[in-house]
Amino acid sequence: MTTTVSPPNQQMQVPIPTPPRVITTKDLLYLKDALSWELTAFKKFHFFAQQATNPQIKQALDKAGQMHQRHYQKLLTHLQVDNYTAMANLPGPQQAQQLSQ
Amino acid sequence: MQNNNQIANPQSGQLPKVKGPEMNDRDFLNDGLSTCKYLTDSLNIAIREASHEQLHSDLLQILTETHQSARELYNLMFQNGWYKLEAEEQQKLQQALQQFNGYSSQFPY
Repeated sequence: MTTTVSPPNQQMQVPIPTPPRVITTKDLLYLKDALSWELTAFKKFHFFAQQATNPQIKQALDKAGQMHQRHYQKLLTHLQVDNYTAMANLPGPQQAQQLSQ
Repeated sequence: MQNNNQIANPQSGQLPKVKGPEMNDRDFLNDGLSTCKYLTDSLNIAIREASHEQLHSDLLQILTETHQSARELYNLMFQNGWYKLEAEEQQKLQQALQQFNGYSSQFPY
């Protein structure tokens, strides 16, 4: 049996214009994956650069390694977020009620 | 048979003539390039699945830089004569051009 009446809090829900800066469950899984790939990548490039004999190749491998370490740092900033506060600041049914009063 | 379709630099004589089990400079570059190729594929999927804008744009920048890095390694391999390219026959290009020009009757715009 179906009903056409929508639940009351759905009518009062303020729309969220864009996805908030919250790390979702899925985001975290991909971030952890990417961090692991980057870590392995720059360790490997560092090791290769140490082993390489041609100075130009050595330099290119080191450059790539440094880039992957930078990427690692960049990804890490996305784990330094406060999901709790971000979620608390989302417009919810309670804010909607205050607005409509 | 030698043809005139080859695009390659002479291999610089840095590698030992008889190669042993140990990794050489060419192997390092090759493996580094493989790592970058794997990363670009995987990052692409992560970007497509990213939730919010800041995460999306940061991942996209990381992807772009990884592509550029892979390109630099590829160029270095080419310079050292470890990448051979082959030009396609002119006739094959003309055939393909004719074929796909012929599909213009299907264009909706």
